[in-house]
Amino acid sequence: MFRYISRVIRYLSLKNKNENNGAVTVENNNEPICADLKRNLQMIKEVMRDSSDVTIHEFNFGHDRRFRGALVFFSSMADRQEIHENILQPMMFGSLMLKEDVDMDFTQVETIKRNLISVTDCQNISLVSEIMENLLLGATILLVHGSKEALAIKSEKRKTRNIEEPGTEAVVRGPREGFNEDVNANISLIRRKIKDPDLCVEKFVIGEKSQTDVYIVYLKRVANPKLIEEIRRRLNRIRVDAILDSGYIEQFIEDAPLSIFPTISNSEKPDKVVAKILEGRAAILVDGTPFALAVPMLFIESFQIGEDYYSRPFLASIMRIIRFLSYLISFLGPAIYVALTVFHQELIPTSLLISIAGGRQRVPFPAILEAFLMLFTFDILREAGVRLPKAVGQTIGIVGALVLGQASVEAGLISPFMVIVVSATAIASFAVPAQTDSSTILRYLFLMLAGIAGGFGIIIGLLVLLVHLASLRSFGTPYLWPIVPLNFYGLRDVFIRMPIWTLSRRPSAVIWSDEGSYSQGSGLMPAPPGKNEGNSERKERD
Amino acid sequence: MVKTGVKLIAKLVLCLVLLLILTGCSGGTEVNDLEIVILMGVEKDEATGDIQVTAQIVKKVALSQPSGDGGGESGKAYWNVSGTGKTVFDAVRMITHKTGNRLFVSHNQAVFFGKELAEEGLQEYLDFFLRAHEMRPTAMILITEVPIQDVMNAKPETENFPGINLTKLMKTYGFTSYYYKMNMKNFSSCLMCDSMSPVAPLISISTENGSRDINISGMAVFRKDKMVGSLSFEETRGLLWVLGEVKSGVIVIPSPEKKGLVSFEIIEAKSKVKPEIGNGKITFHIKIKVDVSLSEQMTDEILATEQKFKKMQNDIADAIRKEIMTTYEKSKKLNADIFGFGELLHKKQNGKWKIIKNNWEEIYQDLELDIDVEALIRKTDLLKKPVAAIERGNKK
Repeated sequence: MFRYISRVIRYLSLKNKNENNGAVTVENNNEPICADLKRNLQMIKEVMRDSSDVTIHEFNFGHDRRFRGALVFFSSMADRQEIHENILQPMMFGSLMLKEDVDMDFTQVETIKRNLISVTDCQNISLVSEIMENLLLGATILLVHGSKEALAIKSEKRKTRNIEEPGTEAVVRGPREGFNEDVNANISLIRRKIKDPDLCVEKFVIGEKSQTDVYIVYLKRVANPKLIEEIRRRLNRIRVDAILDSGYIEQFIEDAPLSIFPTISNSEKPDKVVAKILEGRAAILVDGTPFALAVPMLFIESFQIGEDYYSRPFLASIMRIIRFLSYLISFLGPAIYVALTVFHQELIPTSLLISIAGGRQRVPFPAILEAFLMLFTFDILREAGVRLPKAVGQTIGIVGALVLGQASVEAGLISPFMVIVVSATAIASFAVPAQTDSSTILRYLFLMLAGIAGGFGIIIGLLVLLVHLASLRSFGTPYLWPIVPLNFYGLRDVFIRMPIWTLSRRPSAVIWSDEGSYSQGSGLMPAPPGKNEGNSERKERD
Repeated sequence: MVKTGVKLIAKLVLCLVLLLILTGCSGGTEVNDLEIVILMGVEKDEATGDIQVTAQIVKKVALSQPSGDGGGESGKAYWNVSGTGKTVFDAVRMITHKTGNRLFVSHNQAVFFGKELAEEGLQEYLDFFLRAHEMRPTAMILITEVPIQDVMNAKPETENFPGINLTKLMKTYGFTSYYYKMNMKNFSSCLMCDSMSPVAPLISISTENGSRDINISGMAVFRKDKMVGSLSFEETRGLLWVLGEVKSGVIVIPSPEKKGLVSFEIIEAKSKVKPEIGNGKITFHIKIKVDVSLSEQMTDEILATEQKFKKMQNDIADAIRKEIMTTYEKSKKLNADIFGFGELLHKKQNGKWKIIKNNWEEIYQDLELDIDVEALIRKTDLLKKPVAAIERGNKK
């Protein structure tokens, strides 16, 4: 059934594409720059007619002021101080001091670049279209009368946030820094953690209008080359106007676009992304967003958090089991409650059944409708709470908890047990933030199944879910690895986290080769001196 | 092609919506529409020969009051409601004439039978309770000496429901091992085997202290399905020693110097029964190992000496042996093989059992019991010496 739906959708999208093909017109302004400064400026003015923040500054330079030049930049993007100090001052005053016998031909931009201005990042360009491109990237264009080339000088100044603790992934123990919107800063955060020449940063520019920088970051000789090749292929086929967030990229390159389960993970935290890179994954960083993507994603990654590895293994393992349980509760809680109270009353202990019956006596609705009402109310509260300003947010909590919770029980609209079940479910769903989408949707689906067929419905739903999860792949990696297919070594870091000195191999489903499968030596268990020495040599790294 | 696709999707969505609307019409029952039965009683109307079934139902309204900790002023959170019919099932269905809802019997804790009914024979009444799929075979079977309405109306002091209270009473038989729980399944399997006689607890009402409390007064002994007599508390423990069902309890013996009484708590008891068919005589070797702790002495003797321990251990063994022999004599008098000796022969020596099967009732009268009790006093709890004034004569 789903295959049919996906086929129909694919057909529709292909049809759409064919229709669009004729309409797309690419403006090809491949005219070369001419030697006449006036004409060039005229042309720029023509194109940028409606942009009031374009600044064109004409000036004369040379010891006898016989050369004419112009600077073109967006006043909103360029760093004026840099332009003044490093371009204008050397050109206007520096050239004044040149002795008359120094006869330099300043109609050549190359000469200016080499002798006059003091900037590092500049580029010779010869096409008008290139002028526009660089201008839009924030560069300053230096045009000189008589030259068929122009200089594009990087003088862009961006206002960015400081490196702050991310709001989505707070930790108690572990690095608190988070990515921000500046991709270069983000890459520097990664480079600071992996000081290895093998760390590759490949650049892509995606988006017809936004020209967004997208970087693939991976470790050569650890990441599978086929994986990188596949990412390049998928990135190259994206044709969109703009990339405003890494979410755009995610939706264009994911393996299972029609599944409710994400097959690409995202994170705001450099340490988490670096850990993934070190495991052989590739990170995709997008300019303008703090959320980095990482592929391939395994289902169990949703349950692993950084703190699992920073704290000692015992509590970390217990917390991981709690996370697995709370994921189950988050979508099965209301369903199991409805199935038990409507279909399988004999499974409830007698005293509990008597209490439930007493609590439900005045409730006029069937249990499934009651559950839907409560879940729906909870989702409204959550949505409202997220969007509202913080000051009003508290009010929502009070209204939600007191008015809706307590009053509806007292009014006999909802039974107290349903309130308990729904609140437990709601709390449980926040314990696994990476799977909040799927658990919210599954909660309604399973509730429906439980209302229709009770326990049988839940079991059927679980089977379908399992088959679906087992069929998913993320960039060639089975989604349920290491559970399906079973990998005993991989199980060391699933339901419990074994001590860090036992986790010496990278996940084999991500690496797919013997090369680079060890991340640390074996026999690293701390021991009193003299006991384990000699064993602790690193076993073949890389 | 697109059009048919859209149509199909529309159909699928419609199906899902219909499923949602149709929920609740396919097998589920809301808790509101159930009457939870926690006790049932069967009586026979002597005049008409009709069967009257009384069910104790949870009064949900009484529980749903905001203040309601189950009862409050109205007193009772349960409702005893009866129906009369030609058969048990007929009578049960007649109850719905009064309740308006379906009876939900999965949580039925126990079934009462009147003593008179038990003496006439229970066979015809048991079938329904084991055949109905909602019924639990683990529901207890209880025989009442007083009218069923009286037992069902005796509101326990610490529980809201007599049904739940009875379950607690039955679970805790091990504190004294003076009675024994019997459920539908075990009762009927005793009934269906060749020789064994079932027993079931006897319930009465005690009216001490002004309140009417449910009380266990002994065990009813059946031959086939008819009640023929009853066992006292000690006799019941005599039975449980052999069955290996003594969990705990108190053994009271006179102190070695006969000055007062000493109580022992049973910590653990194990039994092993081995049949032996000799020349014309069938012997059962009963080996009982019991660990006790000295829990109380109502005398000022110093008991913690080796000789006294040995003496007391022998006394305990004698007391246990006496309990078992009394029970055996009683069962001989009632001609009811409550120990299941016949079943044991059936299991261990099937060939010989087939020969003696038909004469078992006579053979039972003439069995030889070789009872070997090994009692061990494990500890004296917190005290070693008696709480008594020390004789200070020497100092003065």
